[in-house]
Amino acid sequence: MNYQTAERRRALAGDYAIGLMPPTARKRFEQLLLDDPHLRAELAQWDTHLASLADPLSAQPVPEHVWQAIVSRIEPQKLHVPARRPFWTWLRTGAVICSLLIAVTVGLLYTRDNVQYKATLLSGTEQPGLRIEAHTDYLQVQPLQLAALDAGRSLELWAIPVDGKPVSLGLIPTGGDGMIGLSKSQQQLLGPHVVLAVSLEPKGGSTTGQPSGPVLYQGPLAAL
Amino acid sequence: MPARPVGTHGKRPVNGNPAMNGITLYAQLISTDNWHGAIPSHVGRTGILTANTENLRQLLAQCSLGNRRAFETLYRSVAPSLHSVALRCMGRRDLAEEVVQESFVRIWHNASRYEAHLSAPLTWMINITRNLAIDQLRKHRELPLSDLQQNAVADDTPGADEQLDSARSSRALNHCLEQLDGMQRQTITIAYFHGFSASELATQLAAPLGTVKSSIRRGMERLRRCLES
Repeated sequence: MNYQTAERRRALAGDYAIGLMPPTARKRFEQLLLDDPHLRAELAQWDTHLASLADPLSAQPVPEHVWQAIVSRIEPQKLHVPARRPFWTWLRTGAVICSLLIAVTVGLLYTRDNVQYKATLLSGTEQPGLRIEAHTDYLQVQPLQLAALDAGRSLELWAIPVDGKPVSLGLIPTGGDGMIGLSKSQQQLLGPHVVLAVSLEPKGGSTTGQPSGPVLYQGPLAAL
Repeated sequence: MPARPVGTHGKRPVNGNPAMNGITLYAQLISTDNWHGAIPSHVGRTGILTANTENLRQLLAQCSLGNRRAFETLYRSVAPSLHSVALRCMGRRDLAEEVVQESFVRIWHNASRYEAHLSAPLTWMINITRNLAIDQLRKHRELPLSDLQQNAVADDTPGADEQLDSARSSRALNHCLEQLDGMQRQTITIAYFHGFSASELATQLAAPLGTVKSSIRRGMERLRRCLES
């Protein structure tokens, strides 16, 4: 296409302004516009005259939401943050509170249930026979190398204070594995320097309140 | 571009004539873009082009520097005008509002490209709006024209304040448009506001493509010479 004569340029700019150009010619014309200020001026003349077609229109108020939408488009960093959804916020807060509660409860239980003393009871030949963990209100007994026991016999556990008589803590569970509950007074007995001992007794334990058979295992309580 | 008939499947035929041919469609198009119906009611009220050009020019310059406050002022002063252009093009409020939104996003980002020595700020902005509207219309072209007409702002009621200058400019425009023949007015207006290509217009008007093109070109020349005189 010849863009050289003034008339031709004016006519082509007019075609472009009103939209008579097919898409390919349109693109070519836009390329020319970039480097040709005179052609841009020619087009602007047409645009100005054609814009007068819009003059008779009466101004139309625009709903406020249009402005809000524009602001959110040009300030994406400020307004594109998704709106807080109350339900999820509530759920998240609830979850945090629940986990805190669980953590505190578990922590308390764990603290309450903490092992306070330990003892490894040895046989006469210094072989470890039993391990005992003293919790606040019970003892956890674990057999290591326990001698076989006749059917008519029991093993009884004693606490021997530094300057006192042995106090029964109860029978070792059959097989040596299990828990022995502690009464308040038994709990108060336990402490450092207390020695634990296991004696061989008739089934059901000593009837005298003191060890009546040989001591098979013994060892001191150690604080952790 | 293949010429697509527009309005041939209109759900609400304007003339009550379901068997539309080129002639009834022509009548339909005239009813959309009837200058004689439109202009007299506008004489004597504020035309949208009567804006403070110098003020708008400064606001645009501020926008190109990233001044958000200037942008808001610009929006408040020209959004109603651009909305009226968008409505004239789209014929539907929801679509027109989208076009207004898109226009201002573009104005904000392209403010530095405005060439003040070439055209008035409002002319530049109207063109942005019109081009965006036409892009949308081409995508929506399957919408029957009669639907667009139904919702078109045919009821532009005169504004409250009247301005002498605008009355004069509208009279001048009216005078110049009267220099055109019916087909010239129709083809120019429809091409300008609705983005119909010459071949689409030729189909609509059942006229040869060459006739439509030369009608538009002669009409534009006549309009320009009249407005420049």
